[in-house]
Formats: sequence, structure tokens, C-alpha cells
Amino acid sequence: MIGAIAVMIFVLSITVENFMTWTNITNLLAQVAPIAFMAAGVTFVLISGGMDISGPAVMAASSVLAVAFITSFEVVTGVHLVIGCIILLIAGGLFGLINGLAIAKLKMVPLVVTLSMMTVATGLSTLLNGARGLPTIPTTYADIFNKYTIIGLLFVITWVLDFILTGTSFGRKIYYIGNKEETAKVSGIKTDSVLLKVYIIAGVCAALAGIVNVSSILTARASMGPQSQVLDVVSAAVIGGVAVNGGKGRVRDAVLGAFLIVGINNIMNLIGVSDYYTTLIKGSIIIFAMGIESIRTYYASRVRA
Amino acid sequence: MTFPGVKALDDVSFCANPGEVLGLVGVNGAGKSTMMNILGGLLQPDKGAEIIIHGERVKIKNPKVAEELGIAFIHQEVAAFETMSVFENVLAYDFNKWRKKGSLFLNKKAMKEEVIRHLQALDCRIDVDTPAHALTVGEKQMIQIARALSQGGQILLFDEPTASLSDNETQKLFEIINNLKSQGYIIFYISHYLDEIFEICDRVVALRDGQKTGEAPVSEINKENLVDMMIGNAVECAERKGSRDKAKIILRAENITGVKFPKNISFDLHKGEILGVWGLLGSGRSELFNALLGIDRMVAGKISFGYEGDLKEVTHKQLYQHVGYLTEGRHHDGLFLDMPISKNITSSLLSKFASKLLGILNTRKENEESRLMMKQVNVKAVDENMIVSKLSGGNQQKVIIAKWFLKNPDILFMDEPTKGVDVGAKAEIQNLIFQKSGNGMSFVIISSELEEIMNLCDRIIVIAEGKLVDEVKREAFSQKALMAGIVKQENSYEN
Repeated sequence: MIGAIAVMIFVLSITVENFMTWTNITNLLAQVAPIAFMAAGVTFVLISGGMDISGPAVMAASSVLAVAFITSFEVVTGVHLVIGCIILLIAGGLFGLINGLAIAKLKMVPLVVTLSMMTVATGLSTLLNGARGLPTIPTTYADIFNKYTIIGLLFVITWVLDFILTGTSFGRKIYYIGNKEETAKVSGIKTDSVLLKVYIIAGVCAALAGIVNVSSILTARASMGPQSQVLDVVSAAVIGGVAVNGGKGRVRDAVLGAFLIVGINNIMNLIGVSDYYTTLIKGSIIIFAMGIESIRTYYASRVRA
Repeated sequence: MTFPGVKALDDVSFCANPGEVLGLVGVNGAGKSTMMNILGGLLQPDKGAEIIIHGERVKIKNPKVAEELGIAFIHQEVAAFETMSVFENVLAYDFNKWRKKGSLFLNKKAMKEEVIRHLQALDCRIDVDTPAHALTVGEKQMIQIARALSQGGQILLFDEPTASLSDNETQKLFEIINNLKSQGYIIFYISHYLDEIFEICDRVVALRDGQKTGEAPVSEINKENLVDMMIGNAVECAERKGSRDKAKIILRAENITGVKFPKNISFDLHKGEILGVWGLLGSGRSELFNALLGIDRMVAGKISFGYEGDLKEVTHKQLYQHVGYLTEGRHHDGLFLDMPISKNITSSLLSKFASKLLGILNTRKENEESRLMMKQVNVKAVDENMIVSKLSGGNQQKVIIAKWFLKNPDILFMDEPTKGVDVGAKAEIQNLIFQKSGNGMSFVIISSELEEIMNLCDRIIVIAEGKLVDEVKREAFSQKALMAGIVKQENSYEN
């Protein structure tokens, strides 16, 4: 993982002029944040043995909702911005809650539930978006959520989420459930309520990504969370070593995976590779990463037999 | 062959002759599986080891080589392609061989003939077109044997083949093994059941802790000798200390009814009592536990719990705080197989290691307590960070027991606590149960082994067809008394 990132940085620094400049590095870090947040949310879900592909759509829908609220006032003050952010986070949480209720309580299949949620959220944001699009919000927002606050957020939130997962009893229960849900149940763990919280966390993480994204365009559009982004988010986690079958992985590594994914996107962009090739290459890299993981577990199991 | 920290096999030599059944015995973790895996090419022995077949030194690099050498396994778990027919199952190892010349299609006629030939040799009358899911476990085993023969197997390894067979099927299997023996096959037979060893084997090799501890023709030894070889010092059968009279009721279950089973079951459990639940397979024993504990839906029923005989009605959730539940399926819902021993043990009472406000875990305390519990129940492992799937069956079972002893519940429900556990660990587990019940923990135990349940329990309730049919006190324990309840029930159905 670290090796792959080193290779990527090396490639970037020789292909891109002035790559190793402070501005450039901080720009890249800020750019990673949205994908990293969503990947962190997906990490929780994947470790619990589930799947969530609604992240980008939820991110867009919550952002549109919040921006629509903020711009509904004639004179927008700081208070409105704060309330807007809170609405954004709550909206993300609510989307997650609905996912969670369907999956944890009604025992529906995660992929189907979140696929539907993706469609619903995209529909909702298109609807609110309107034909002309939403107006912009005051630049104060971008001043608050500037590059450095975003980088700060990236580090703090990664650390907090990583700690929740690996250092608290709630996080441990997620690993238990992902490892073997039946055993977790018999062990007296309330699997339903843990899973519900997991999907809420994923929703809030998507909303966090929304907060960051809004700062760069100062408005919100239905198109800000394209479906293709799902691939980036999930593959960031997978490349980071989060097990698709559950029970293994860390937020920290998923965020590193996000660096890699965003970095690859950047390289492709900068050397002018067409979009078609970009997806092709990204897909191959994911299969390659998962292949390495499989081979590693295969050899590990051979040793212990 | 060395595992990290544990020597799985240490300088073991033996030989097998054509036309002979060689028994391989040993407690869980003695090294039987390692031996098998080496012969099957799944594991490589350390330097200096040699395998000689028909006077030729061979190196079994991988399973393919083993197959070419004529080594074939018949496993305990019978795996078949459920939707495919018998002949396809038998020949599944190499369909390519059966392709019509220059064609993509299979020569089904030739395939069927080949399979019929082998099945006839086994004196087995199964229609080759039957899909595998319509077969009994015994018949599926025949398929495995037929496959081994059609692969050109000369050395057949039977690994606990009777574990899931009925008595009739077992007898049938023995006939076949004898038949194969007379045809000059080399046969290895691995089993926990000592009776079987004496019935089917000509010679027996005993392993303990990776070393050969004995080898003898079965005609020259008796059961005690064999157990000595396997365990070393003879195990004493666990014996209950302390009084078996219990006064105070701790749990009262009334009219417990599940979706299908159980039907209207009521019983009381006293403090420190060991209550047995006896019934045939499929009588609704495990379903009683699941409904009572709220794992499955309880349609009707009332549960009361309380100390000092002061019972209050409780919900499943409230009850669960006071109970532990060792389930029948160790791998299904007993363990987190890919996690370390310590995390398995602490899963029953995570709150003990978490801070009140934020639930921050104290990993050092977790490890310390896990080590303590491992010592208490005698789990043999490198350390508490060992992944559970690497442990032997008996040790895995002890990890689950350690997990529940850590929680120290008032009542421990155990479904087949010694299933798939060797003789030594069995006695240890029974001793632990006695010890804990002496300290006031109550037990409800399901066991399919009459001897075990009669030795362990103070009182036994008998279940048939999901209904409670009898209750037997310790004074009246006998095989007859326990079976009587079930027979009574079955007769009443016929009338």
C-alpha cells in the first residue's frame, strides 16, 4: 500500500512539473478528502459484512437539500450557513438510517437497498436542483472550509473514525458481526442496532464529503455525485485492504486507498488519457490489488493448512 | 512438520501393507490430520522425512501427485455436487477424459458404464442418474469411494467416515472396506470411535502430541491398552463433587412454544443444578434453546428468572444478560474463526473491558483476562493472539467454554458440549462443568450421548416431537428409563 503510494508520488513528481510544491500537495490532499470520507463510511459497512453504493448519490442529495435551504433566504447570514451544514449532516444521516432500517431490521439485501437508495437520492436531488440549477452561496463558506480546514478535517476525522473502529467496543462489535453474524448474535451482541448505526455513519460520512464538495463549487448539483464515483469510493476501501466479505480492514488504510485512487485519476488527467482508458486502467488496478490480497491469503492458509 | 510454536509431528514412522486395514488413532490435535495432509500432498514434511510406496521413494509435492500415486481420501464431510447426477459426481475429477473424440460433448454412455462397474464392485445399487441431493449420506459416501476407485486409487484413506452415518450404513461401509481389503487395497482408517477400530482394523497406530505412542495388531490389545496409548495416563471419568440437592428455583419456563418446535414445554431449573435435555436427533432439543433464548421466534410462553427463588417474568433480552449459550455448531455460530483467541473469549462480555462513557477498549486487560481463562480451561495454544481456526476441535470448544466462563453467567446452556472432542478434552470439559455447578452456576445440557448425559446431570427432561414427554430424576437414571419416554410418545402417535 505504502509502496504503491510511493510509486504513484514518484510517477506524479516526474510527469508533473512543480508537483512537489506545497500548493500542489495541499491541493491534492484537499481533493482526496471527499472520496476519503465516503471510503471511510463504506469501510464501516464493508467490515460489518454489508455493502453501500449509495454514498455519492446521498452526498449530492444532502448537499442539494442544504444549499436549497440556504439559498431560500434573501439575505444569507452565517447562521444560515451553520444551519445549512447541520441540515446537510442530518440529511446524510437520515438517508443512512433508511438504508440501515431496511437492511438491519427488514433483512433486505444491502446491495439492492443501497442501489435503490442511490436512484432515489439522485432523483430527489435532480428534482430539487430544478432546471436552472441552484444559486450560489456566499463565499464566506469557502473561506471557512478552505484548503487547510479541509486537510485538518481529513486528518481528524480519519483518526476519529479509525479509533472508533479499532479502539472501542462499538467498533469491535462491527468486526464481530462481519466475521460471523450468527456467532455475534449468540454472544449477546445486538446486531440490529449495531448495523443500523453502521449505515447511519456511512450516511453522515457521505454528508461530510458533501460539506467539502460544496466549498469548491459554492453550490450543489445533482451531478456532483456521479454514479461512476461509487467505483472510486469502494475501490479506495478495497485497495486499502478492507475485506469485501467483512471482518477485516481499517479506516486509515481505506483513506490511503483514496489517495491512490485520486492520484491515479490525476495522473490520467494530467497526461491526457481519455476517460475511457481511465476507467479501464482503474478497473485493472483494483483487480490487481484484490488479486494480490487473494494470493497472500492463499499462501497464508497453505502455511497453516 | 512444524507449525509455528507447535511441533505437529515428530519423527513418526509406520508402514502399511496391501490387504490390511491400518487404524490411525489419537486425540484431537495428536497429529492425525497433519499426517493425512502430508500423504495427500497438502503439507510438506520437514527434511529427512521419506515416504516409500511399492519400494519407491516418492515426494508428494501437491494433491495432483498424490492422486497419481493412487492415494485417495474418503472424508468425514460428504461433499457432493447436489444438483448433478450420481455418475457425474463420481467422475467429476476429470471430465476431459470422457469427452468424445474431437468433440465437446461427453460420452455419457461410457461414463455411466464405468460408474456402474465401480458401484457394482461395491455392491451398491444406486441408479446412476439420480441427482445427488436425493441420496442419503451413506450413499454419498459410496460415491466418494467409487470416485476413489475410478481414479485408480490403491491407497484409500478413510477419515472419520462413519461420523454422519446411521448404524446400518456403517455396517454396509464395513462390508465394503473388508471387501476392498481382500482385493489387496491399502486402507487407512481414522476414527474417534474405538469400537470401530477393533471391528474393522487389523493393526493400529496411536499418535499423541505428534509422536507415535504405540503400534500393535488389534488382536493383541484391548480398549484400555489403546486408550493408554492415546492419552498416556488413563483418564479418570469425571465425577461430581458436592451435593446434587438443589432447592432454589432460578429459572422457570412455562409453555415455551416455537414456530414448529418446541410445543408447550415447561420446566424449572434450580440454582447449581445440571439439567439434561434428552431426545433423539430432530426432536426439537436445540429448537427449545433457541426459542427460550430468543434466537428464534418464541410464539408463546412465559419465562421467569430470579435469585433466591424470587421469580419475576423477564424478556429474552433481560434473560440473556444472565445466560451463556454454547451452541451445537462450533463453526456456524460458536466462534469468530478468523479472529484471535482473546477476541473470541472477550466477545461474551465486552462491556467489562470498555470505558463507561465512550466504550474505549482496554486491550491489555483483555489479553490478561484471556490468558487467565485459557489457563483455567486448559486451552493449548501458542498464545492468546493465535487465530482460532488454527486450533484443533477440542481446543476450539474450550475457547467457547472460556468465553462463557468469562461472562460467568447464572445459567449456561450447552448444546452438545463435547461433540467432536476427544476423550481427554471430554473429561476436562465435564470436570469444568462440575466445578462451576459446585460454585452455583446452573447448567442446561443437551447431549446425544446417553452415558455422558447420565453421568453429568442431576435431572433429565425427555423431549420427543417437540413435546416434553418425561422427567427422570437421578436415582431413576437408566438407558431404559430415558428411552421409555420417547417410545411412549411414539406409541401414542400410532394409536
